[in-house]
Amino acid sequence: MISRRTLELATAVLTGSFGVAVVVSSLDNGIGWSSAGVDAGTFPFLTGIIVVLGSLYNLVRGVVPAATLASVPIAITSIELRRLVGLFVPAAIFVAAIPLAGMYVASALYVFAVLAIPRHQSVPRALAMAGATALALYLVFERMFQVSLPRGALASALGF
Amino acid sequence: MDNLQELLHGFTIAVTVPHLVLMVVGVLLGILVGVLPGLGAPNGVSLLLPLTFGMQPVSAIILLSSMYWGALFGGSVTSILFNIPGEPSSVATTFDGYPMARDGRPTTALATAFGSAAFGALVGVILITFLASWVAQAALAFGPAEYFAVYFLAFASFVGMGGAAPIKTVVALALGFAIAAIGIDTVSGSVRLTMGVDELVKGVSFVVAVMGLFGIGELLVAVEEEFHARAVSSKIDWREVFRAVGRLPRHGVALLRSAAIGCWMGITPGGPTAASFMSYGIARRFSRRGRHFGTGEVEGIVSPETADHAAGTSALLPMLSLGIPGSATAAVMMGGLMIWGLNPGPMLFVDQKDFVWGLIASMYVGNIVAVALVLLTVPVFAALMRIPFVVIAPLIVIICVVGAYSVSNSYLDVVMMLGFGVVGYLFKKLFYPLAPLVLAIVIGDKAEDAFRQSMLISKGSLGIFFANKLVTCLILGGIALLLLPLLLQLPRLWRKPASPATDAPVQERAII
Repeated sequence: MISRRTLELATAVLTGSFGVAVVVSSLDNGIGWSSAGVDAGTFPFLTGIIVVLGSLYNLVRGVVPAATLASVPIAITSIELRRLVGLFVPAAIFVAAIPLAGMYVASALYVFAVLAIPRHQSVPRALAMAGATALALYLVFERMFQVSLPRGALASALGF
Repeated sequence: MDNLQELLHGFTIAVTVPHLVLMVVGVLLGILVGVLPGLGAPNGVSLLLPLTFGMQPVSAIILLSSMYWGALFGGSVTSILFNIPGEPSSVATTFDGYPMARDGRPTTALATAFGSAAFGALVGVILITFLASWVAQAALAFGPAEYFAVYFLAFASFVGMGGAAPIKTVVALALGFAIAAIGIDTVSGSVRLTMGVDELVKGVSFVVAVMGLFGIGELLVAVEEEFHARAVSSKIDWREVFRAVGRLPRHGVALLRSAAIGCWMGITPGGPTAASFMSYGIARRFSRRGRHFGTGEVEGIVSPETADHAAGTSALLPMLSLGIPGSATAAVMMGGLMIWGLNPGPMLFVDQKDFVWGLIASMYVGNIVAVALVLLTVPVFAALMRIPFVVIAPLIVIICVVGAYSVSNSYLDVVMMLGFGVVGYLFKKLFYPLAPLVLAIVIGDKAEDAFRQSMLISKGSLGIFFANKLVTCLILGGIALLLLPLLLQLPRLWRKPASPATDAPVQERAII
C-alpha cells in the first residue's frame, strides 16, 4: 500500500533530481552571453532551475497535504500494487532479455510466460499465441516495412 | 474566395482511390487504438510514423490524420458501451453515455455521440478552411521574437487553462524543454545534457517519449483496476441512428456552445481532454436539465463529444499555420512533418499548397468516412473488448517496444521508453498533464532557437520582446495566462473555509 503523499514525494524528488542533473550538466556548456550569442547551456540551465523550483513546490505541497490530498489518502492499494508489479516486472525482464535473445525470441517467451505461468491460458494456447506474435512481428516489420529487428547475441553466436 | 478554390483543388487530391483507401485504413487503425485502453491517438500515430517515411507527405498526413479521427471516435465507443474511456478525452462521455446505454438505449447514445462529434469536427474543419491561411498570412511577417512570443503564449495557456495543477504543468513543460535540449545543439553544435552517455548525442525522440508516456503509462494505470467489460448490447438499430441524429438540432445551443469551447481549446493548446471536461461542466451548469446530468442526458453526451472533436480538429490549425501543435497528437504529427522534410508554419501555405489543402479537404472526407466506419464496426470492436486484458497487455507492451526500437534501431530507446512509462504512470496517477510535456519535447528546440535568434538580433536585450505592439501583446497575454491560476486563488483566500472539493483542478475532480 502506497499513500498519495509518498507517491507525490517520490515524483517530486524524481523530477527534482532530473532538474539538478540538467542544471549541473548545462553548466559545462556555459551559461549567459558570449560573442556567439546566448550560450548553449543557458536555455537548459533555466529549464533545469524551473524544474527544481517546481519540484520543490510540489514536494512541499506533498508533505503538507491540502484538503484535496486528504480526500484520497491511498494512491495504490496492495492489490493494485500486485497487479502493477505483475505487469511491469515481466515487461522489464522482456526488455532486458532483448540484447541476448533478440526481439523475436524475447517477445515469444514473454507472451508465453505472461499467459501460461499465471495459468490465464492453457499451455498449448499460450504456445500458439507466442508463436503467432513472433510470426506477426516478422511479417509486419521484416517483410512489409523492411525494418530489421534485433536478433540478439544468442542468434548471432549460433550463426543466424 | 481564394480559399474555396484551393479547397476544391484539395478535394481533387484527397478524393482519389489511394487516398480513400488510406483514409479507411487510417480510420480503422484509429478506432482500434481508440478502443484498446493502453493505446491512444498519440502513440497510435507515432507507431505509424516510421512506416510513412517512404510515402508522399500528403498521403502520409492523410493516413495519420485519419487515424486521429478514428481514435477520437473509437474512444467514445468504449466510453458508452463499457464505461471504459478508450481515450482520456472521452472520459467525460462516460458520465452520461454509459447510463444511457445501460438503460437500454445504446444506439441512441452512440448515434448522439457520433452525430455531435461529427458536428464538432465539421465546425473545426470549417474554421481551419477559412482561418488557417489567414493566420499563416499574418505569421509570414513574424520574426524570431514574434515566434518566441507565440510559443510562450501557447505554453502559458497550458498553465492558465489546461485544468491541471499549474505548478505541475510548469514542471511538465520544463521537463519537456530539458529533454528536447538533450543531444547536439543546433545553433552552436556543442553536445548538451548527455550525462556521459554517448548514444544520447542523437537526442531523445518524441516517439520514444510518447510510446512510454502514453503507451506503457496508460497500461499501468489500466491494469490497476482489473476491469470487466460488462458490455451492454452493441447491436445497432439503424432507424434509431437516424432518429437520434434527427433529434440533435434540438440541442443546437449546446452544440454551438460546445463547438466554440472545443475550437478555442484546440487552437490555444488546451487540448481535447480539457475541452470535453470544460464543455461538460458548463453544460451542466447552464442546462435546464442540469440536475439530471449523469443519468443519461442527451446534452451530457452532446457537450463533451462536440467539444472533444472540435478541439481535436482545430488543434491542427496552429500546427499548420504557426508550427505550434494544439494537442499531443498534433504534436506527434508535427514531428512527422519535420521528419518528412516539411517546415511546419506559414511557409507551408506558400510552398506546399497541395499538402495543406489536400489535408484540409481530407479532413472533411475523413470525418465522414470515420462516422460511417465507426457505426458499421461497433459490434466488431465491441467484441474485441471481450478479449481478456491479460492477453492484450503483453501485446501492447511488445508493440510499444518494437515501436520505440524502430525509430532509430536503438536498444537505448527501448530502455528509455520503459523509463518514460514509469514517469507516465506517476504523472497520470498524480494528475501531472502529459500533453505539455510532449509538446515541449517536439517544439522545445524551435522555441529555444527563436529565443536565441531574437537575442542575437537585439544583442542580448530582452527589450526585443516589447519592441512592437504585436509582440508586446503576445508576451503580456502569456504572462496574464501564467498568472491566471494565481488570480483565481485570491478570492478563495478571502472566503477561507471553502469546501475542499473546489480546490482540485477540473480533471482531478472529475476523476475522483
